[in-house]
Amino acid sequence: MKIDIRHIAKLSKLSIPEDQIERFEEEMQAILSMVEHLPEIEGSAVVVDTTNTMELRADEVIPSASREDMLMNAPQVAAGCIVMPKVVE
Amino acid sequence: MDKLYSLSAKSMKELLEKREVSSVEITKSVIERIEKTDKDVCAYNSYNFENALKNAEAVDAKRAKGETLGALAGIPLAVKDNIHVKGLKTTCSSKMLENFVAPFNATVTDKLNASDAIIVGKTTMDEFAMGSSGESSKLAVAKNPWDTSRIPGGSSSGSAVTVAASQVPFAMGTDTGGSIRMPAAYTGVLGLKPTYGTVSRYGIIPLASSFDQAGPMARNVDDLAMLFGAVCGRDTKDAVTKNYTFDGYGDSVKGMKIGVPKEYYGEGVQPAVKERVFEAIETLKAQGAEIIDISLPSTEYALAAYYIICCAEAASNLGRYDGLRYGFRGSNTSNVEDLYLTTRSEGFGDEVKRRIMLGTCVLSSGYSDAYYKRAKLLQQNLAAEFTEAFKSCDVIITPSIALTAWKFGEKAGNPAEVYAADICTITLNIAGLPGMSVPCGFDSSNNMPVGFQIIGKKFRESDILTVAKCYENAVGGFAVKEF
Repeated sequence: MKIDIRHIAKLSKLSIPEDQIERFEEEMQAILSMVEHLPEIEGSAVVVDTTNTMELRADEVIPSASREDMLMNAPQVAAGCIVMPKVVE
Repeated sequence: MDKLYSLSAKSMKELLEKREVSSVEITKSVIERIEKTDKDVCAYNSYNFENALKNAEAVDAKRAKGETLGALAGIPLAVKDNIHVKGLKTTCSSKMLENFVAPFNATVTDKLNASDAIIVGKTTMDEFAMGSSGESSKLAVAKNPWDTSRIPGGSSSGSAVTVAASQVPFAMGTDTGGSIRMPAAYTGVLGLKPTYGTVSRYGIIPLASSFDQAGPMARNVDDLAMLFGAVCGRDTKDAVTKNYTFDGYGDSVKGMKIGVPKEYYGEGVQPAVKERVFEAIETLKAQGAEIIDISLPSTEYALAAYYIICCAEAASNLGRYDGLRYGFRGSNTSNVEDLYLTTRSEGFGDEVKRRIMLGTCVLSSGYSDAYYKRAKLLQQNLAAEFTEAFKSCDVIITPSIALTAWKFGEKAGNPAEVYAADICTITLNIAGLPGMSVPCGFDSSNNMPVGFQIIGKKFRESDILTVAKCYENAVGGFAVKEF
């Protein structure tokens, strides 16, 4: 498989500077040729691990985090809300 | 008692219980030790000394009043910087979270607090736990105490180093593909990756959620078991955790069957590593264990399956870093699309970018059947092979890593080669099994530590610790670096 760094970077929401495209392409190509080494395996659906199923907690009302705590790491806050660039004109 | 910091956790506990020393004295000794040595080994991203001393005072006061104390009462330890400790930074050694302050505790932290342990700091790691050398950290880059020009291994690099350099008796790490066991092996300490579902992942920044597991690192088996016992068990905030109680361990391997899979001793494994691991197996044989040759044929494809699944999950998990709600925000804020791009391109290091792109690639239209689906099928086959192998043996022994610690920068520009070094450890994360790295001597060419890995059946950590304890007794304990 040949990797198209520009396309993959776009899908990944990353911008790779032009002068680094070649280096990333080489590194990613080496990694891909390693992971391409997979056999054809018969089987269709990937079954759930029945020996290790999940157990949900009871649906109870418990105290949740405060607005202040949740906003303390936000890059920009105004009037108790997170500020972000305009999405709809 | 001028070297309190160098004692085992077990000895600290005994002295504290006999009231021969206080937790404040031990904690002060540990802080002085870290202050004196950390400029050379760089194990920490941040210290928690002030709170640690306050907490030590509180534990001493509780003890003086005769109150019931937790299992780790008054003993200092460190936690990896991807585990939330409320009020302290959780950076994942990334620019993306450089200023992120944890708004709540991880369940592991709650359990450590409930055990009255004293958290002295947050240890450095590979950025977002992506790496096996420790070199991808964008904050402190930890150094191997046995030779500071060499890598400590990763991704739990700081936790391994702080234990190996006798700054603390034990520390918490996390392991997605070997991130506890590899740095343990490179630095000559013990590291246990428990069975998936044994230790809660709540409040731990995820890499690959279906592989991630936290676990203890220590300089001896008893300390490791003490820490493991304190953090394991069902947590309603992590739906995959089980009602698990750790029921202790023995010290005899008489009658135990140890499987040795030939696939883990191939050409890629350095001869010095093979020699030391075979010596360890011989030691256990002399103690009464039966050695059985086994085969795990899917191992040769494990590396491919691991990186496909791991990076697919990582790419999804790291989608949350968009610069909007928390963490680093890029400089261009004029429109949201550019904000995503600048945030992620400036906030993530190259290793993180490579893994996000690999994950995105294998999940992208037209490729997911060829890559992701095949990798998941291989995961089932590999797990089934382990189940079959465990019908004829109690534990399996392999090298922990194929090589010993290399010099910083020696493998720069060759990520695929670094990925290949993970081959002995990743299979356990794929199959959800527990495994532990135990030191077994040194590579005579560079005097760096070698480790062997003990793999157990699911939820049979007790078997692993029994084998490790027997080995520890047989060899008269593990070498500690005078540092």
